[in-house]
Amino acid sequence: MLEIINLKASINKRDILNGLNLKINPGEVHAIMGPNGSGKSTLANILSGKNGYKITGDLKYKGENLKDIPVEQRAQKGIFLAFQYPIEIPGVNTNNFLKTSLNTIRKAKGEKEIDTLAFLKLVKEKAKELGIDEKILSRQLNVGFSGGEKKKNEILQMKILDPNLVILDETDSGLDIDALKTIADGVNSSRSKDKSFLVITHYQRLLDYIKPDFVHVLSSGKIVKSGSRELALELEKKGYKKIN
Amino acid sequence: MIENFKISLKEIDKINLINQEDKNYRIKNLEFFNKKGFPTKKEEDWKFSDLREIFSKNFKKIDINDTYPEENKFRLIKEFDHNYILLINGRLIRSDFKFEDKNKIKITGYKEENFLREKSNNPLICLNNALSNEGYNLVVEKDYKFEKVLVIYNLFNEDLSEKILNNKNKIIVKKNSELHTIEYTINRSKNKFFNNTYENIILYENAKFKNICIQAGRSEGYFHKFLNGSIKSDSKYSSFIFSSGLKFNKQDIKIDLEGKNSDCEIKSALFLNKEDHQEIKTVVNHLVPNCKSFQKIKSVLDSNAKGVYQGKIFVKDIAQKTNAYQLSKALLISENSEFDSKPELEIYADDVKCSHGSTSGNVDENSIHYLMTRGLTKKEATQLLINGFLKEIISDIKSETIKKFVENKLEFQVYGY
Ligand SMILES: Nc1ncnc2c1ncn2[C@@H]1O[C@H](COP(=O)(O)OP(=O)(O)O)[C@@H](O)[C@H]1O
Ligand SMILES: [Mg+2]
Repeated sequence: MLEIINLKASINKRDILNGLNLKINPGEVHAIMGPNGSGKSTLANILSGKNGYKITGDLKYKGENLKDIPVEQRAQKGIFLAFQYPIEIPGVNTNNFLKTSLNTIRKAKGEKEIDTLAFLKLVKEKAKELGIDEKILSRQLNVGFSGGEKKKNEILQMKILDPNLVILDETDSGLDIDALKTIADGVNSSRSKDKSFLVITHYQRLLDYIKPDFVHVLSSGKIVKSGSRELALELEKKGYKKIN
Repeated sequence: MIENFKISLKEIDKINLINQEDKNYRIKNLEFFNKKGFPTKKEEDWKFSDLREIFSKNFKKIDINDTYPEENKFRLIKEFDHNYILLINGRLIRSDFKFEDKNKIKITGYKEENFLREKSNNPLICLNNALSNEGYNLVVEKDYKFEKVLVIYNLFNEDLSEKILNNKNKIIVKKNSELHTIEYTINRSKNKFFNNTYENIILYENAKFKNICIQAGRSEGYFHKFLNGSIKSDSKYSSFIFSSGLKFNKQDIKIDLEGKNSDCEIKSALFLNKEDHQEIKTVVNHLVPNCKSFQKIKSVLDSNAKGVYQGKIFVKDIAQKTNAYQLSKALLISENSEFDSKPELEIYADDVKCSHGSTSGNVDENSIHYLMTRGLTKKEATQLLINGFLKEIISDIKSETIKKFVENKLEFQVYGY
């Protein structure tokens, strides 16, 4: 699904990633853990196609060179990033945005556009699963949403767009335990053999609910250790410093 | 070239005059205009819109318009019930007030005696004073609230190449009455013309008047309108300006809040594109205590467009408890676009709440990226943001059907379909 080979990245002359390697097969759930500032969001941003980074190394998605694929086409080809800090967009109705987004992706896949009625039914169902108050969906995108509502809205988008590679950037931070469980349920019910997940988190708490197949430790822009779920527990006990 | 653009006094003879005094007044005004010419940026009020330069670049000559065709194949707006009046090249052609009590409404064409012979230093007002002989007069008698909106179809016909049209309109809403209008400009001229309008609005005690100004589509028209508003006590004037799509437009708005508790609201959402140039200039005079004024101007500027907002709030010494607010926000999409804003406060009372602000900036790259990660192209994302930026103003329209109508027009401007 995704293969990252010796990825180095810098921004504003600052080196952030220093030779990162990662391979994710279809159906796998990988977790990346790391202290603040270790480059987690940078990795997520680069995968999403954000510009401004100077990049060397190879990035492959479903065999294609990711660097050649423009941002919107990455989304259309099934890459989804749940942002650490979802952006507030005044004046843009959340439901309209979701529908526009879904339809551009459907069109790109050669599928028929969804009509308003079918769309509203779909949103209603998914919002209910995630315990999202439907009222917020007729409000402006993320504007005045609580921290939890913003994160849930990201997962709602994931559910509706039905991507193949999902990157969750600290979707758990700032959530209470109930919201965390709801989000984890949302992710777990989407797991399948042709979907992969890259779960970025600062705390192992999330991994009690989303059980990863692999755990990687990111430090100073590199993966310094990889292992199974137990690695997360070890990290929790010892802290990041000892792992280094 | 129209650098030394002069209009022959003979043009005045063509107007059916009422008396010699009127004629003399017109001659004086025309002489003043001929002396001054079209205003240039050297004049403070035209600092950001050098009309002489704009005209000399775009017009080879300008003739006085004298054609007013009858219109038979005319399509009304279907989206909502409305009364209407039809203007062609500024002339009142017909009216239909089928939803109203006709005894309460007076509509006539241009009448010389309806306007005072005021002196002005504004060359365009003088030009208008000298030559206007078309327009409409609308009176809403007292204690009458319009049932439905009144659409003013402002139609310009095909053969207006390099013509100038001068019109004068007057709207009076009497005591305890209410009027809601939509000034809907339809332009069929493929060629450039210049429409110069003077409008006088008088709201008597406890009257309400709301106007929405909008275009049917893009146009080659150059527009200037001077609006002179007089608002008596407990009355409210609201104006929504959505005049996107014009080559040039300057709305020069002067509102006198003359009666206690009067209220004035000016809101605008503009999408300017392809060398469009629009200016909104306002002077709100708080002349008595306890009045309120609110102005919010939002502009999006794309390729080579220019937007200007000059907003002045004047508060007279006796106008205590004034509440005045003014905000201008501009979003610049293209590097070649420009927005100029000049707020001006002149306050002589001490118990006053007055605030103003002005921002202009580019589209937020992070917002664009966020939308693109959801599959939208850069263009689609930008359009969504532009639309979102302007929508705030439209959302203040109360009627759902009219809001939808305005929204569609705006989306047409932004998305081009
Ligand atoms: N635009 C930028 N310019 C300079 N430094 C940046 C920029 N963006 C991020 N950084 C730096 O890169 C490092 C990694 O950031 P980030 O990827 O956000 O870390 P994490 O998500 O792991 O907390 C941090 O030290 C941060 O300050
Ligand atoms: Mg981060």
